[in-house]
Amino acid sequence: MKTEEYISSGVLELYVLDQLSTQERKEVEKRIAENDEIREEVDQIERSIEVLAFNTAIEIPGDLKNSIKVQSIQKDALPKDKEVIPLYLKYAVAASVLIAITASILAFDYWNKWQTTKSRLAELIAQNYQYAETLNTVNQELLDAQSSVAIMNSTEFDRIPMNGTDNSPSSAAIVYWNQTSREVYLSIQNLENLSRDQQYQLWAIIDGKPVDAGVFDSNNTGLLLEMKNVSKKPAAFAVTIEPRGGSENPTLETMQVIGNV
Amino acid sequence: MSYLVDNYSAAIFGAISRIVNNEPVAQEVLQDCFMKFWDKIDQYDPQKGRFFTWMINIARNLAIDRLRSREMKKEEKTDDIGNYVTEIGGAGFSQQNVDGIGIKEVLNNLREEERFVLEMAYFKGYTQSEISEEFDIPLGTVKTRFRMALMHMRSFLKE
Repeated sequence: MKTEEYISSGVLELYVLDQLSTQERKEVEKRIAENDEIREEVDQIERSIEVLAFNTAIEIPGDLKNSIKVQSIQKDALPKDKEVIPLYLKYAVAASVLIAITASILAFDYWNKWQTTKSRLAELIAQNYQYAETLNTVNQELLDAQSSVAIMNSTEFDRIPMNGTDNSPSSAAIVYWNQTSREVYLSIQNLENLSRDQQYQLWAIIDGKPVDAGVFDSNNTGLLLEMKNVSKKPAAFAVTIEPRGGSENPTLETMQVIGNV
Repeated sequence: MSYLVDNYSAAIFGAISRIVNNEPVAQEVLQDCFMKFWDKIDQYDPQKGRFFTWMINIARNLAIDRLRSREMKKEEKTDDIGNYVTEIGGAGFSQQNVDGIGIKEVLNNLREEERFVLEMAYFKGYTQSEISEEFDIPLGTVKTRFRMALMHMRSFLKE
């Protein structure tokens, strides 16, 4: 059919007024898509209907207008279709609920497990820190021991054993003194424990006078104690018991050990 | 959405009113219409036509459905039908006075027979073959008259 014939057949008017069967409508839609002239004609018919409609318009009461607007707002707030829910949808909803419950239970279970795991992890991390600290301490002790042994074996250090006096015959200690670097180290062999407000004090006897070489505690565990440097070669080393912090002059009556250089 | 109500409700109400020819029923149908617009608006396809055409066809179909269900009820009661001659003047509507002027203007130069076919097709929802059978007019003539009536509308477009 030629385009003009088709246009004047009246089928387009019926199309615009929605009076065609589904099949006829599809045919027209196809033609509209293919032919601009037909599309233009349909558009003109549609506009004609619009002219007719607007020229036969009847104003509606204001309250009806408002109620339609209100209804449309309510409608927007509601789910779109209030159709009867098909059975399969009900099953689907039931299944979803079941899945949701199962998921929640599993989630709670996993959450519990996760919490347990988390606290165990915290414990392990804490333990790890402890081990690391212990290792550090041991390492430090090893280093100390190594340097102590190095000092003891060094030829640069003079080894001065100090023996017990009449106050304490069984006491003994050893001083290591480096003539070049002036360093002094002390190795406790056997000294009595002291009360808290007392400390041992090492003295170097230089030119007949006692010179302070530092204080130390009786419960020292290290292999060697580093004492104050002694600048001049002393005649002897001695240890007295003094009040905590040491004294300016030695309390000679309390002398525990003494050794000549 | 209230834009639609403000701009199109009167035109749609005009069409519905002349189909159902009863103001309270027309108001109901109009409300149903707008509910249907909200529901179906995502089904509107601009490729297939203008938006107003889509709306007016929903409105006309709802109104025609309502008219026919009412006629069915009446038929059961009185067995008396066929007196639904709707005039485009739209008798019995309080708000039609203002619009009356416009209607005349548009339809003034329409020949009586063209106007009749337009009324039947547009306001009564008759198909062209129904008009042909019912009123004993050859189908080709119905088509031509309807086309001529719409062509007449078209002349108002260009002004």
